[in-house]
Amino acid sequence: MSTTGHLIEVEGLRKSFGDTAVLEDVGFTASSGTCTVLLGPSGSGKTTVLRSLNVLETPDAGVVRIGEAAVDFGELPRDKGLRRKEIRDLRARSGMVFQSHNLFPHKTVLGNIVEGPVQVQGQSPEEAEAEARRLLEQVGLAGRETAYPAQLSGGQQQRVGIARALALKPDVVLLDEPTSALDPELVGEVLAVIRDLSQQGWTMVIVTHEVRFAQDVADQVLFLHSGVVAERGGAEVLTDPQQERTQQFLRRVLEAR
Amino acid sequence: MIVVLGLAVVGTPGATAGDEQDRPVLRVGTEGTYPPFSYEDGGDLTGYDIDVMKAVADEAGFDVEFVEAPFDALFPALDSKRIDVIANQVTINDEREARYLFTEPYTFSRGVIVTATDTDDITTLDDIEGKVAAQSETSNWAQVARDAGAEVQSVEGFAQAAELLVQGRVDVVVNDNIAVLDYLASTGSTEIEIKGQVDDEISKQALVFRQADGDLRDRADAALKKLAADGTLAEISEGYFKADVSVEDGGDVEVEGSGGGRSTWEVLQDTAGPMLVGVLKGTIPLTIISFVAGLAIALGVALARMSSVKALRLPARFYISLIRGTPLLVQLFVIFYGLPQIGIKLPGFPAACLALSLNVGGYAAEIIRGSILSVPRGQFEAATTIGMPYRQLMRRIVLPQAARIAVPPLSNTLLSLVKDTSLVSVVLVTEVLREADKAASLTGEFLPLYCLSALYFWVICFALSIGQDKLEKKLGRYAV
Ligand SMILES: Nc1ncnc2c1ncn2[C@@H]1O[C@H](COP(=O)(O)OP(=O)(O)O)[C@@H](O)[C@H]1O
Ligand SMILES: [Mg+2]
Repeated sequence: MSTTGHLIEVEGLRKSFGDTAVLEDVGFTASSGTCTVLLGPSGSGKTTVLRSLNVLETPDAGVVRIGEAAVDFGELPRDKGLRRKEIRDLRARSGMVFQSHNLFPHKTVLGNIVEGPVQVQGQSPEEAEAEARRLLEQVGLAGRETAYPAQLSGGQQQRVGIARALALKPDVVLLDEPTSALDPELVGEVLAVIRDLSQQGWTMVIVTHEVRFAQDVADQVLFLHSGVVAERGGAEVLTDPQQERTQQFLRRVLEAR
Repeated sequence: MIVVLGLAVVGTPGATAGDEQDRPVLRVGTEGTYPPFSYEDGGDLTGYDIDVMKAVADEAGFDVEFVEAPFDALFPALDSKRIDVIANQVTINDEREARYLFTEPYTFSRGVIVTATDTDDITTLDDIEGKVAAQSETSNWAQVARDAGAEVQSVEGFAQAAELLVQGRVDVVVNDNIAVLDYLASTGSTEIEIKGQVDDEISKQALVFRQADGDLRDRADAALKKLAADGTLAEISEGYFKADVSVEDGGDVEVEGSGGGRSTWEVLQDTAGPMLVGVLKGTIPLTIISFVAGLAIALGVALARMSSVKALRLPARFYISLIRGTPLLVQLFVIFYGLPQIGIKLPGFPAACLALSLNVGGYAAEIIRGSILSVPRGQFEAATTIGMPYRQLMRRIVLPQAARIAVPPLSNTLLSLVKDTSLVSVVLVTEVLREADKAASLTGEFLPLYCLSALYFWVICFALSIGQDKLEKKLGRYAV
């Protein structure tokens, strides 16, 4: 579909819940290995954009392409099987990290991580476990394999959540406010892990209000406002926004810190 | 001869007139709780009617299989072809003659009026107008009492009726004099007495067949005539009553009492064994099968109820509402006595399992649905993002979490089920309570026998609740 060489292409994304239009023509592109930061006031549609990339939400119109998988939501196939397959293929390209981690409480740390690779991708348990241990080491949780989520701190839980998303080897990692639900003293450990991922070349789209962190990792910044991209640019946008409402928003966020 | 006890599974194809020429297997319905006509002595079915039936079978060339059930279940069982003949002192009357085929009578007896000893104002049928009578609902004596203007309270057999009289809960019982004499002799009771005769008319009891089985009736009839002629009937009767009740004027009846003068303790000892068999062959397998099948039904219905497809949702809602909105007893009756009328005939045990499973299914479906709904949305989403299709997501992520939430309420359903199994004697399946009834009908020891059966139920439920604790711990281990 595209020859631009971008890994992610989003075009004309539209979504309403009932009468309220939440996304109105959102579009952006991102190259492989880059980090895209989504910013914007609460309710501006950031989560909906991320969920659309993973098709947890089905947009009313627009095109999402990640790598070779593309879905045109305005023209979904009539055939149910075909539609499912398109969506499944697109979904498999991204891994999701939730604000409230959503770990499986009845499975151990290791069980959470190998669930997708073994049950969905059909990897052998041995192979998947070896990879899971490697990932746990990477997120600084070696030795906690047999713990249950409820036995971990919030920061540790979120790091397991990241490992779970990485285990499926997605092209893109989507992170929706990964530190917002954490106590302040736990935020650092999670951000450190994400910064690490960025350095390793993972392609990421991340919603965060941590402006200083965003300055470090962002290759591209998108300001969302009422369902449209109000301003976009490189990390410099964060220090020198052009638009009035972007300036206002950043002032408020920085004051709150 | 096979006395069908425990699981009265009526599996063998019954006799149908004309089909089987030589030795048809006749399924004989009888109470087993109506001494001295039909009762159990040390676990063996015996009594005047039983002996007569066996003699008739020998003479006519039938094989017989006895099926025990409360009196009020006997005619429905005959109608639904679960039994072929009733041998239980069925009195010949006009209504019955219009619907069924009787043989020649093998008992001539008188109806008597029984009241508590201190009741003085009831000595004739005229006196029972407006009084409360305890009777088997479908018996001839119930009709007699009703015709005389009494209000009839339905009971399961004469022993229960007698107990209600003793307790002063009813005013009068109308019954066959022999059964009353036997009860008085067995229990030594001085609290109730025969106060009068029903009327001058002598009532006649005979074997009853379905209208379509004229051939079987004729063969039984011929056999009865022969047995009367050669003195066999008189001999059987003398053995039980010291008189010949098979003819109109056979002398005064004398009975020793079939209960046999045992002490309460001995009665309990004698009954504990059969009751345990009732637990092992009735209560426990019924519970296990019905619960497992019921859960499977419930899961399917719960998922259908939550489906986005209306054609699945509506029937599921209807099923749940139907099961929860109707009595279990009615469900049992519909399946056991109703379905045969449209050609679906299940033996007692499978019918009981089906009814109980459907019942569990209806209640557990709502529990399972509620449990699934209480699994956080984030769990569905997390499973979806790692690429799980619906079935896998349900099986691996949602249901294990729902199970933990569902265990306590489902345990309640299980305990209710254990206790509900005591209803199934109405569909000819023997379980604990039925064994207690049988023993009580001979001895009148209601309190100790019912307490013993309560003990059995309580032990089962206690064991199950220990199991529930263990399961909850196991499922809850991940929650700190
Ligand atoms: N499932 C939903 N049903 C109805 N409204 C929704 C739903 N999800 C989100 N919204 C609304 O859409 C808007 C954007 O939501 P969201 O994408 O979560 O914003 P953000 O993540 O930027 O705070 C909000 O006004 C929210 O209330
Ligand atoms: Mg959000």
